[in-house]
Amino acid sequence: MRYDCIIIGAGVAGLTAGIRCAKEGLHTAIISSGMSALHFSSGSIDLLGYRDNTVVYKPFEAIDQLTGTIAQHPYTKCGKPLIIEALLFFKQECELQGLFLFDNGNLNHFHVTTLGTLKPTYFSQRSVFNEEVYSRFKAMKKIVIINFEGYRDFHPQLAAAQLSKHALFANCDIVAKQIEMPQLQDDGKHPHEFRSVDIARIFEKEDNIEKIADVIRLAADDADFVVMPAVMGITNFNQIHNKLQSRTRLLVYEVPTLPPSILGMRIDNALKSRFAELGGVYIAGDKVVRADITDDVVNAIYTNSHPENPMEAQCYILSTGSFFSGGLVSEFNNMYEPIFKLKLHHEPERNKWYNQNFFHSDSHGFLQYGVLTDESLHPYDSNNNIIQNLYCSGAIMAHYNPIKEGCGSGVAISTGYKAAGQIVNLLKHMS
Amino acid sequence: MIKLENISFDHCIKCTVCTIYCPVARVTHLYPGPKQSGPDTERLRIKNPELLDISLKYCSNCKRCEIACPSDVKIADIIQTAKWRYSKKELRIRDFLLSRTDLMGTFGTLFSVIVNFFTHLGIVKYFLDVIFKIPSGRTFPNYASGTFTRWFKAVRKQQSTYADKVVYFHGCYVNYNYPQLGKDVVKVLNALGKGVILTKEKCCGVPLIANGYIKKAQSHGRHNIKVLSSALSDEKTKIVSASSSCTLALKHEYPNLLELDNSPILNTIAYITQFILEEFEKGNILSLQPLSYTVAYHSPCHLERMGSAAFTIELLRKIPALTVKILHSECCGISGTYGFKNEYYGISQSVGNELFRIIEEAKPDFVVTDCETCKWQIEMNTKYKVVHPISLLAEAIE
Repeated sequence: MRYDCIIIGAGVAGLTAGIRCAKEGLHTAIISSGMSALHFSSGSIDLLGYRDNTVVYKPFEAIDQLTGTIAQHPYTKCGKPLIIEALLFFKQECELQGLFLFDNGNLNHFHVTTLGTLKPTYFSQRSVFNEEVYSRFKAMKKIVIINFEGYRDFHPQLAAAQLSKHALFANCDIVAKQIEMPQLQDDGKHPHEFRSVDIARIFEKEDNIEKIADVIRLAADDADFVVMPAVMGITNFNQIHNKLQSRTRLLVYEVPTLPPSILGMRIDNALKSRFAELGGVYIAGDKVVRADITDDVVNAIYTNSHPENPMEAQCYILSTGSFFSGGLVSEFNNMYEPIFKLKLHHEPERNKWYNQNFFHSDSHGFLQYGVLTDESLHPYDSNNNIIQNLYCSGAIMAHYNPIKEGCGSGVAISTGYKAAGQIVNLLKHMS
Repeated sequence: MIKLENISFDHCIKCTVCTIYCPVARVTHLYPGPKQSGPDTERLRIKNPELLDISLKYCSNCKRCEIACPSDVKIADIIQTAKWRYSKKELRIRDFLLSRTDLMGTFGTLFSVIVNFFTHLGIVKYFLDVIFKIPSGRTFPNYASGTFTRWFKAVRKQQSTYADKVVYFHGCYVNYNYPQLGKDVVKVLNALGKGVILTKEKCCGVPLIANGYIKKAQSHGRHNIKVLSSALSDEKTKIVSASSSCTLALKHEYPNLLELDNSPILNTIAYITQFILEEFEKGNILSLQPLSYTVAYHSPCHLERMGSAAFTIELLRKIPALTVKILHSECCGISGTYGFKNEYYGISQSVGNELFRIIEEAKPDFVVTDCETCKWQIEMNTKYKVVHPISLLAEAIE
């Protein structure tokens, strides 16, 4: 099969790149082996949350400072103007699928984590952050954090206790409540067996919403603000959110749960549907296992299911992620990139890969490891040659720490967008 | 001893993504989901087979869990293997008959008029329901009045006049129920300049595996590998199949589930749309007439598992004037013989509801899909006719 562009990996980076290529009229395929990290994510898009272990409030100023000091950082390779363009592109493409992302202009905002801590982020979904939440926040007297009886992946008491400690909530009463959802008992399954997805599917049934809203209203008592685990549906979440708010006459706000992440699945859905709508070919459940390279040009790639049938493209994007998704592989005392055997940035000694203290402020070495690329995101092979028609994007890239810097999705969007842009320019120029 | 190659369950990180995308777990609490039935309880079963949780029988083997899994765990294979290795064997006439597609087919085609008449009678369906536990709501596929292989005898000579040959694995459905699809395949392959060779194939084994007749499936598998590889040695050529599940069996189920060595044929088997696209790319392009239909394309689970749905979509896009609406990938629910059993019929129907809804929403002229059982399920539950992509291609050749 021949394409203009083949993207390996369907996380935020791969899907952003795929949408841009397909939108520019390129015949594009994405090959994905298993579902992406979005299923384990907060569902907010972090741009740059921390620098030197302090919270970043003005991410673009911090990016200016970062690009001036860390030459190898993916943000430096992208540059601030492109990052801004990429974020706007991502926001607009999501909007076309009915997924509205809110930001605070030039500022980060905070979303509440499942443990009740506050985390700086740049884009959040409407049910997690919006103008109304922002404007009414300071006058809030009482917040109720609810959970559904039996649901084990969210603990409102924990979240309430943690939130109450925060200076922002000094004048606010935060109460945890369990509510019983009658629908949970309906089909004979024990409520303890329900995961976020099961509850989200109950929310998705139209006839259930009013009943659920009434139970929530009752539990909220005299509070003006209700926080609940993020289970307001996977597809029709806008209608559900509107209905809940209008029937309860309360502000209802979602907090990410333990995986599977409904907020993340919404983004995954929106991006995949957008890619399909633009005519992109999405190949699920197949794994690229090797590549055929001559003279620093990739001729073809081969997958697990079709080991003898080449898939060919003019350009390729590698966005297979880091160790968790198999983009990088570590063995006892070595690590490698399995498809193209690219040159990696990493410490050779195993004891430097990680920190003995899991929560140490220096984080872990391995989070910075990855593929080395040039300014145009071309990777190097083991002989230090640039592979000319291959680009890298997202978590497979070296020289940044997505956890410590709080920049995972921002880097994925920017580098995915940039890689696609390079290919679009190149192929348009050729024709 | 645990065989080292069978410990893919150990790669499971308990992320639950498989259970999110399991169509059965979505509609019923009776099935705890692929994570629990597969990797979670496999370690217990290895310790002590008595620890088998029988709820794994609700797995329909659609393999969507394996597509979703980020850690490459062969979840469906683990469940299928556990099903026949650990569960108690009971003799069930119904399961025996449903899984013997070639036996039933031979009988059905001989007396097709009578058989088709009776299987559509309400009273007969009632008795099938009560005695055999075959749901009366289920519409049976008709048997053809003559087999595909009998028709082929008349054209065999002419096929040998082509210099290039292709081995065609037609499967039971084409042979006994719908020879027209086989004729369309022959027509398309001939138009590409390829003569068709048939072998003395047996049922690929998919229904036997699903009903727990593993020894029988293995003997069919061994037979098929033998006849197909000897056909290959006569002619340097490829094996094609137009049934997504037969192709999956030949390529994946034989080595992974039945522990058969299919290496002599493995790399020569291609699902037919992939084979045709490769011919196109070599410059052997069919000239196609415009077909001004709007079709909705449904990708079958087993085709997706092989990463081959993209080939069919690509091929459909080559037909001039054809508008193809790609349906969001959903399981139709029938899963072969699963939807023909009373205990699963309700689940099967509920699983399919979402697909039926999006088909109605797409308002196509008709639906296109690669799988015969998906076809039965969609035709029974929507007002649309279902056409195989190769039949559509054959129409465009005229």
